[in-house]
Amino acid sequence: MTVRLTRRQFLECSAAVAVPLGRRLGRASPEVTGTEQLVLDLDPHCSLRESLAGYAAALERRALRTDVSSLARCAVLIVPAAAEIPTQVVGAIAACLDRGGLVILESGAGFASERDFSRHRAVLRDAFQVHIDSPIDLWPEAKGSAIPYVNFTWPVAATVRDFSRVAPLASGAGEIIAQVHGLVVGIKRRFGRGNLIVLGSPLGPALWAGDIEARQWLRAVIR
Amino acid sequence: MKKSIGDNMIPKDWGLAQGLELVKRAGYDGIELWLGDMPWFQMNTSDADVRALGRAVHSAGLVVSNVSTGLHWGSPLSARDPSVRARAARIVERQIETASLLGADAVLVVAGLVTEEIPYNEVYQRSVEALKPLGDTARQAGVRIGCENCNAEQRFLMSPREFWQFLNDVNHPAVGIHLDVGNIHDNGFAEQWIEIHGPRITRIHVKDVLRHRGRCGDQSVYTNLLLGDNNWPAIRAALTKVGYDGWLVAEMEARYRYAPDQQFFDTAQAMDRLISGRL
Repeated sequence: MTVRLTRRQFLECSAAVAVPLGRRLGRASPEVTGTEQLVLDLDPHCSLRESLAGYAAALERRALRTDVSSLARCAVLIVPAAAEIPTQVVGAIAACLDRGGLVILESGAGFASERDFSRHRAVLRDAFQVHIDSPIDLWPEAKGSAIPYVNFTWPVAATVRDFSRVAPLASGAGEIIAQVHGLVVGIKRRFGRGNLIVLGSPLGPALWAGDIEARQWLRAVIR
Repeated sequence: MKKSIGDNMIPKDWGLAQGLELVKRAGYDGIELWLGDMPWFQMNTSDADVRALGRAVHSAGLVVSNVSTGLHWGSPLSARDPSVRARAARIVERQIETASLLGADAVLVVAGLVTEEIPYNEVYQRSVEALKPLGDTARQAGVRIGCENCNAEQRFLMSPREFWQFLNDVNHPAVGIHLDVGNIHDNGFAEQWIEIHGPRITRIHVKDVLRHRGRCGDQSVYTNLLLGDNNWPAIRAALTKVGYDGWLVAEMEARYRYAPDQQFFDTAQAMDRLISGRL
């Protein structure tokens, strides 16, 4: 799935997000009817394969999808460790949200190349109005001092060890649901009829490593 | 059993030929080559130069006992960053390739590194997953990967049962343990590790350790063979019990300040005593 985001494609995509798909087609978009909870493999745009493995393990292997067209009726869509976000994926996320679904978009910016990060940032800003900053390594300052834990406050309180590099999110982008060292790394916002959750600190590796609170948090979000 | 010693013991200002001559003269059967440690054996050393290195070893009347490396301390298989993990895997692959070129059938790998930042559960899982495909590569090359027990330094796989379970989880016939009998100092007994791991032992590093010394009794320090607290009669008996008849490889952390070549002779003699059981 090697997709380059040209300016034209990007504008088309932004338009698709700005105007709900159903209305563009002159009819009401269908509401979420399915209960499918799916994890999208962005290969090669997934910057942390073990994050993908973590979500897939938490939701069971059969939740894994590689084909965007197979996401048409899902109620929950998880996009782990996204680096560059291809146009079709932006469209699939927007469609899921427009149907009233829940999307967890986990940024893989901390492990993406500079080029991928700048595209990642542009897509989040222009398609989802979420501003993300350059990744920060929290650990050099943490050595010998407190461990940087990500504190989730919604929908349940959970404390999960930070995965080395966080991509801070602008606080105005939505309701703050997770912070570490005073940095916002999780937000939730209404989008279309659905809810978009953006994570700037990867949770998937903690799921993969068997972190109990990470699993509890995910279960509470998608139940 | 056969005796070997690391090429990284060769004094830094000595050349390879002089070092090999010393190893042979001191009575060793083979030499352990440390990828990345000495100028003659680096990651960018070409296959042709590796073959030439092998010829030099053979010309000196020695064989290569195994290929080791310290590069995984800087680039661990358990790193969070996928690019670092890829580099770590490439190091193991190069060890396997060079072992084949050199006629050796074992490599030493430091499998994982627990740090303040990277917790135990992650390191365990990542190391298991990294070693499975590397085991396939090793098997195809006729080589075994020995994961070294670096215990305290690694903060990983501290007990023999835990190491056993780790190897069960890797579940690959080409992945075993490169047992260092000197690294167990503060948390067990080398002879018990030998009994538990038996056929999974690929090579054995030998060194001795003085346990709990210093004014506060809080330091364990490495020393020469037979001078420390390892129970060598028990270690020898355990080797007999499990039928280990492979390489003993001297890895002396404490170095002679003067006459460094003398350490080669003294260590070889101590290894002869161990092998013969005259303890």
